[in-house]
Amino acid sequence: MKTIAVYSNKGGVGKTATAVNLSYLSSLTGAQTLICDLDPQSSATFYFRVKPKLKSSSKGFLKGGQKVHKSIKGTDYENLDLLPADFSHRRLDIEFNRLNPADNRLAIFLNSFRDEYDVLFLDCPASISSLAENVLRTADLTLIPLIPTTLSLRTYLQLMTFCKKKHISRNRIYTFFSMVDRRKKLHNTLMSHVSSKISGVLNCDIPYLSLIEQMGLYREPVAAYAPGSVASKAYQRLWQQLLKKI
Amino acid sequence: MPPTIKFNLANDEVEDQICDQLTSRFQLRKNTPVTRRLRFYDTFDWRLFNRSHLLYSLDHIMNLRNMGEELILYHLSCKQPPQFIWDFPESALEQHLKPIIKMRRLIKLVDLTSHTVPYRVLNADEKTVVWLSFETVRSRGPKNGFTIGTQIWIRPVKGYDKHAARMKKQIQRLGFMPSNHEDVYFQALYEAGHDPGGYSAKLNLNLKPQMRADEASRSIFRFLLKVIKTNEPQIKHDIDTEVLHDYRVAIRRTRSALVWDKKIFNRNLIARFQKDLAFVGKLSNELRDLDVYLLNQDKYKDMLAPVLREDLNPLFDYLTKQRAAAFRKVVSSIQSVKYKNIMQSWEEFLTQTQPEESQGPAASYPVLQLASKRITKQYRDIVKSGRRILEDSEDEKLHKLRIKCKKLRYLIQFFANLYPQEKINTLVKQLKKLQDMLGNFNDLCVQVDYLLDVSKKMPRNRSQSNRSLVAMGSLIGKLETERQLTKDSFAVTFAGFAALPNQMLFQDLFVHYPKKVTS
Repeated sequence: MKTIAVYSNKGGVGKTATAVNLSYLSSLTGAQTLICDLDPQSSATFYFRVKPKLKSSSKGFLKGGQKVHKSIKGTDYENLDLLPADFSHRRLDIEFNRLNPADNRLAIFLNSFRDEYDVLFLDCPASISSLAENVLRTADLTLIPLIPTTLSLRTYLQLMTFCKKKHISRNRIYTFFSMVDRRKKLHNTLMSHVSSKISGVLNCDIPYLSLIEQMGLYREPVAAYAPGSVASKAYQRLWQQLLKKI
Repeated sequence: MPPTIKFNLANDEVEDQICDQLTSRFQLRKNTPVTRRLRFYDTFDWRLFNRSHLLYSLDHIMNLRNMGEELILYHLSCKQPPQFIWDFPESALEQHLKPIIKMRRLIKLVDLTSHTVPYRVLNADEKTVVWLSFETVRSRGPKNGFTIGTQIWIRPVKGYDKHAARMKKQIQRLGFMPSNHEDVYFQALYEAGHDPGGYSAKLNLNLKPQMRADEASRSIFRFLLKVIKTNEPQIKHDIDTEVLHDYRVAIRRTRSALVWDKKIFNRNLIARFQKDLAFVGKLSNELRDLDVYLLNQDKYKDMLAPVLREDLNPLFDYLTKQRAAAFRKVVSSIQSVKYKNIMQSWEEFLTQTQPEESQGPAASYPVLQLASKRITKQYRDIVKSGRRILEDSEDEKLHKLRIKCKKLRYLIQFFANLYPQEKINTLVKQLKKLQDMLGNFNDLCVQVDYLLDVSKKMPRNRSQSNRSLVAMGSLIGKLETERQLTKDSFAVTFAGFAALPNQMLFQDLFVHYPKKVTS
């Protein structure tokens, strides 16, 4: 089983849209795919029309086991399941803080899905926290959407500093440009600057499109309701690049 | 997650009526209908069916699952369905099938069209909570358009089991009962005239200890004739090498049994059939030998240094041409009048009851007694002959011993069900070890001689031929070394077979056990 985390310490960068679309594309390949919504805002859960409710508390959630597995819901798509978010996920950080970091609780939690799934996506909340640290250490690949703006770049650099301080390997961290508006000079300048200076930048960007925003209306992955669209093709390119990395 | 529930329908016209009745309780949304080509595969001897496996392709995806289960064990995307294991791309499916189908061809049993109209059953959030599908399966080909079956499928969605249970209840209320899992598979096979699991070359006889020897012999011969008659018409279709192999083994077993039946049936009649069946057996000797060489292509290549491997290709090209000629000969010979007459008179002999006075003196003996005597005699003969073989003995002696062992093996297989199964298996295991060794030795001797002979006959008109001769020479050298090593291992292998515990087991089974049964 391969674990792909979609994470950023900045909100509103397109994490959930990315996780939802990539997990859908993964399921189309025939791979048994699970998307875990770790964000208490439960946006991924909303996109798949599932009620944000778990059969366990945040403490029980981290222990894994039967209750967590029973909380998994099938989506409207073949080979794609969802572990919904729950409002109690706001306490996940507190639970991680309580645990001994050496326990690697997230790895144990994820391991319990190994027999059933080929690919597991983590849709993470926006924060630099114990949860984020666990995710960055455990996932086979962490994908960071980056809007080509100064503030977004600043938070990205903050994250890299955090990783360095915590001795987290940056080899498994990849970034791509999200919500790109090619008409903006700033976007173009920053993108070429970042691509030349920072390693791990995927040569594939997701444009800023209203079709992607409409995911909230359709409550479906964009690749499902507009499969031939520019937006869908952009996610397919991103998925193809990821496949080479995993 | 609960399994998919299926209901058989009388026809596909009730879809609208059922949907109308369901819409009062469920929110249904029709999806785009899907039409796919569905094909089921198995080998001629039902190797997958015998393991409860179902191999089928849906359009370009090959799937393998267990019968009665939904979980697809392996799947593979391929434009052309592979026929032999070596046609498969490297994959988990190939790895799984390799030890099961071996060199057998996957035959397309039935070719069908599956037309599915899927409906999504939605909750208040318009989330799909159950999948409801109407599937109609029709045959393609000769019976094109013939309806094999129409079914409703209720496929639960993980986490929404209650909705599926409600749907099941509702459909039952409409008067339908859940159907068996593999109805379509069995119905399609039935319509195509297939009898799943109906053929096996393995001896499976139900002999009784007190049965008359002639009666038991006839049932052995009848079983073997059935194997011959099942495979014989398929030889001309050249499905795979094992059709001819099974056919030949059945003839060989028949000939071997005839040797012992001189005292059961009319001596002169048996002598005639022995001669006739020896003729029949010889007809396909060359073809079988060539099949074996060609099947061993990779093995031979692996024996050589990598630099020489491709230089064996001209040899295999030559053998392939020879095989085509040998195949044509076999096909025409089994259609000849002489062949047909032999097989007809053999069949007549087995179906007609012979007058008691024309039978041999042992015809009325109980089969257990006679079988035990024959097996003991053959075993003692093998032990005696084997002990006389020394390191520098002629190869011919080992060859004769191999034939004796083969006869013993056939005898044990014919009468296996008369004896305790576990003990028989132990004996066969020991005998098989010796047979494998002797068989390997014989194959290596034949191969060395054959390659030397072929090297003289192969056309030599290309610059490649020199390299090809070097490769063949190297192969002959390797085979010769292996031959010597195999011969050297005889003493140890034979000692295992003739060891005291094994002798005691033979004694126990074929001397003491029959006495115990008859007393």
